[in-house]
Amino acid sequence: MNNDLSSFAARLRELIASRQSAIGDPQFSELALELFALQFKHNSAYRIICEARGRTPQTVEHWTQIPAVPAAAFKELELTSVAPDERMAEFRSSGTTGQKPSRHYHSAESLALYEASLWNWFKQNCGVRSEECGVVVLTPSPEKAPNSSLVHMFEIVRQKLGGAETAFVGSLADDGAWTLNFAATIAALGHHPQSAIRNPQLLLGTAFSFVHLLDHLAERDLRLKLPAGSRVMETGGYKNRSRTMPKAELHALITERLGIVRENIICEYGMSELSSQAYALASDEWRVASKDGAAHHSSLITHRFSFPHWTRVQIVSPETGREVSEGESGLIRVFDLANVFSVAAIQTEDVGVRRDAGFELVGRAQMSEPRGCSLMTA
Amino acid sequence: MNLPNYFLADLPPEATLSPTMIAEACQTLKRNRERYLMNRSTDGMVKVLSNVAESWLEPDYSFRKYALELGPAQTGFPHATLMRGLDDFFKQLTRENFHALLIQEFGDAKRLDALTATPADQKQNRLAIVNAPEFQVHIAAGNIPNPTLSSIVFGLLTRSAQFVKCASGASFLPRLFAHSIYEADPKLGACMEIAEWRGGNVELEKTLFAEADCVTATGDDETLAVIRAQLPVKTRFLGHGHRVSFGYVAGEVLYGSRAKKIVVAAADDVVAWNQLGCLSPHVIYVQLGGEIAPEHFAQMLADELDKREASEPRGELPAEHAAVIASRRGIYEVRAAHSPGTTQHWCSKDSTAWTVIYEADSRFQISCLNRFIYVKGVADLTAALQGADDIRGKVSTIGIASPEEKSNEIATQLARWGATRICLLGQMQNPPLTWRHDGRPSLGDLVAWTDLEM
Repeated sequence: MNNDLSSFAARLRELIASRQSAIGDPQFSELALELFALQFKHNSAYRIICEARGRTPQTVEHWTQIPAVPAAAFKELELTSVAPDERMAEFRSSGTTGQKPSRHYHSAESLALYEASLWNWFKQNCGVRSEECGVVVLTPSPEKAPNSSLVHMFEIVRQKLGGAETAFVGSLADDGAWTLNFAATIAALGHHPQSAIRNPQLLLGTAFSFVHLLDHLAERDLRLKLPAGSRVMETGGYKNRSRTMPKAELHALITERLGIVRENIICEYGMSELSSQAYALASDEWRVASKDGAAHHSSLITHRFSFPHWTRVQIVSPETGREVSEGESGLIRVFDLANVFSVAAIQTEDVGVRRDAGFELVGRAQMSEPRGCSLMTA
Repeated sequence: MNLPNYFLADLPPEATLSPTMIAEACQTLKRNRERYLMNRSTDGMVKVLSNVAESWLEPDYSFRKYALELGPAQTGFPHATLMRGLDDFFKQLTRENFHALLIQEFGDAKRLDALTATPADQKQNRLAIVNAPEFQVHIAAGNIPNPTLSSIVFGLLTRSAQFVKCASGASFLPRLFAHSIYEADPKLGACMEIAEWRGGNVELEKTLFAEADCVTATGDDETLAVIRAQLPVKTRFLGHGHRVSFGYVAGEVLYGSRAKKIVVAAADDVVAWNQLGCLSPHVIYVQLGGEIAPEHFAQMLADELDKREASEPRGELPAEHAAVIASRRGIYEVRAAHSPGTTQHWCSKDSTAWTVIYEADSRFQISCLNRFIYVKGVADLTAALQGADDIRGKVSTIGIASPEEKSNEIATQLARWGATRICLLGQMQNPPLTWRHDGRPSLGDLVAWTDLEM
């Protein structure tokens, strides 16, 4: 255990839990620089990258200058200051077959911080009130998927909301792929007439698990009418686990088959290399005038993702590495103060459009990872 | 320049193609072939084709000017890259080269015109003539125009009516070439159709395939399989799947001025068509033990690519493509920081214009292209081929730089390994007209022979 990092983590937990004020820019920069100095000192894999870039605590003056490491570096390096004997959890990315997964190690105290971070931002975005709400999780249980940060997050949400342990209705196929137990899912969603109490339900799952469920319902021409106030939180890509569909179509089908209105569908953006998540409401729409300025042309921007106030996001030009202007696209870079025991500054391979302090998700840079060509696997 | 409405691809973008339009176009092509094309002589065809090619090389030729003016916006290739690519292509279309091609494919340059006999045929008391299919359909992939232009040239040479289906947004250059032929000889132009639609339009393709005697296609293996499955058994199918290429530099030639020339040649191959063709190198294997070490070679190549950026800039990329390059650079930056002995990287400043990655690991690496090249050190050719084992059987071209006396030995080893085209480094994207694409005869696979035994 490292005292410097531990005390930083404890302070940050207080700031996250505090309802009084968000972390403003000056305070964020101060905290980020302090954390950078600590990570530079205590995380040797990270220090080597910083030194190669000529960035040290002595030369970095603002949080935006802190070197970001590619999320993919977690596949090759132990980017952690959690000692091997303190590691309680190892979150891995769900990469494609044949790829090494990212590894993000957590100790008891880093998990505590992770949980504080996820819960505080989740509850602000998901609009659910505890106790009155049932939880159904379309993933395998934490016992079956101990390395999934997403499942861990859902488990924390379940605990906080007092959901039953049976809330997890997913299971694992022989090849490790996530599948759904449809009967359990439909039962959990209270489709039986005898279930008298009709509390709102909170459904948590990946986009592909929702596709599996919706396809199953469509095949049987089933429509579930979940109680008013029920919500859906969906996340992540499809990873070839189901057919892909645009978000708008997925959301329309969720409304059609599950009876959950669009305003109650929440999208999440997260990854195992981070300790905080971003959310967007399906109804979070912006109208922006098109470039030609014609009065009748406006395009609908949906899904503006926002991270919590202990995190900053930059959309950087892949050409120059500098932040792009409002409305331009670039790579998403996240500075997550809750990543105390790994690396706070993470460069993702995801492309987004800068929208105010948030971003609109465009997609993942295809084939960015070496050895990712179909020729190799054919 | 206003192009007349000769081809379906000339229709305004909002025009929708229907199966009836396709069927009618096919009938017209076949009719026109019978009237205007099938009785033309090989000499006559060579004359038209070589004259058109010569015109394309003239700076004031209207189609060339138009291609270079609008090409960058239409194709994504910057002016200089496009100019070099088109020049290299049209320079090949000479009378001499056509003659060499006909001899290579048919043994006699008149085989398409009449029953003829080579000396070997005479010994066998035999005459022979070849017949091309009446109607060829070309399904063209998007990235670079050369394969499509070659298909059109071969189709004309063998006097087939032709329908060229271009990928969505990729008809610009084939269309200009077809117009240039139309201008030179309207009757020949009337035996060609150029159209563009997004692949997978079953209705249009079904109609088209029903008419075809021979279908040529370029694309990934999946696309080819889908096309093949739609064809009637009697229809000949010539598919060219996705291929990759690499270079090999022998240690003996890595000294002084020769090394500099080799670096320039390697840069030529990386810059040509912005590395986007199947013939462009992903990796350059450099043999250890020369005066210049592989890392040093990589550094020299980076310097050369930087120079090229000034004279022949790569041009802008969509953010998603640039993001791939930036992300992959990020990974190598981390590796280089942690193991500088085995990984080094050189990148254009403030842009993704070019990237050189040196790796000691000899395993072949698919590049993200657009001037992103790997240099890998190897003990010898055998080690390079071990490194490239993953792509064995899927290789198009290997560009080599070696002592002349060793090229035969190297080529034999590469041939046994499965390579079909070995050329000098610097010429990878510039195959001769006589090139046997993927090791197959270019005209020979199109035609059928008729033998007369005496």
